[in-house]
Amino acid sequence: MATNIQAPAKLYFEDVQVGDEIPRLVKEPMTHLRLVRYAGASGDFNPLHTDPKIGEAVGVGGIIAHGMLIMGFVGQMLSDYVGPTALRKFNVRFKGMTRLGDAITCTGTITDKYEAGGEARIKGKVQATDQNGDVKVTGTFEAALPHRA
Amino acid sequence: MFDKSKIGHSFAPFSIEVERCKIHELALAIGDDNPVYHSREAAQAAGYRDVPMFPTAPTMFSFWGNTHNLSQMTELGINVMRILHGEEEYEYLAPIYPGDVLTGVTTLIDGKSRQGKDGSSMDILTTETRYTNQNNQPVLNARTTFVVRG
Repeated sequence: MATNIQAPAKLYFEDVQVGDEIPRLVKEPMTHLRLVRYAGASGDFNPLHTDPKIGEAVGVGGIIAHGMLIMGFVGQMLSDYVGPTALRKFNVRFKGMTRLGDAITCTGTITDKYEAGGEARIKGKVQATDQNGDVKVTGTFEAALPHRA
Repeated sequence: MFDKSKIGHSFAPFSIEVERCKIHELALAIGDDNPVYHSREAAQAAGYRDVPMFPTAPTMFSFWGNTHNLSQMTELGINVMRILHGEEEYEYLAPIYPGDVLTGVTTLIDGKSRQGKDGSSMDILTTETRYTNQNNQPVLNARTTFVVRG
């Protein structure tokens, strides 16, 4: 593992405007190995995600990625943007199945900024699409950001 | 068809200790190489107390922590081979760090059955798991909506 990778720079409330685009995250094409690693890490061993024959048998046409893996990609984008401890809410709706070879891009836009409960907060909407523009996941988030000193 | 009388029913609590190496493993699986998820030293150098929780780590608490996950589904009258994940929602109420021991209580908060035009049936169920830590402090609410195809 590379040891010269930097943690992303800190984001302040004053840096964000409504309408800002969140820096997009482009993931490599989905591999069977990633699904194996994700099954082990998450504990979700549903054979739909690990055994190609099961996907064919139950009618989804082959192996499909865990929806939560795609939510994980969006989580990575948000963690890079606001930092790992800034999220207050995060939700997604699963719209489409992801198959091997699909390359997912995560995007988002800031929809609101306000003060609540003693914290400065931003709200935004997020999305994950594949190489054909097909939407896999849509969602929203809320994060608390520090003020610049 | 799921058991409608179970709406509002809460299952017995389960507990799980948050582990640094599992956060590392999950971040690796997702492909996030942010060093704070992979070593305590890097996390502390970035100003965190320890390795912070990855945003979708709560899914691990449910699968690895709730050993009765599958039997609870069956108790609700669900065919686990026909489940599709519909929605997932997290409310992060307080920081969660390695070493914290979380207790989760899962409740079936909503459920309905729908009939498609082709005669196929579909159940849509929502569970909520409320987590407290070793100090009895509420730390996380997780809501899962899943669809069970008839």
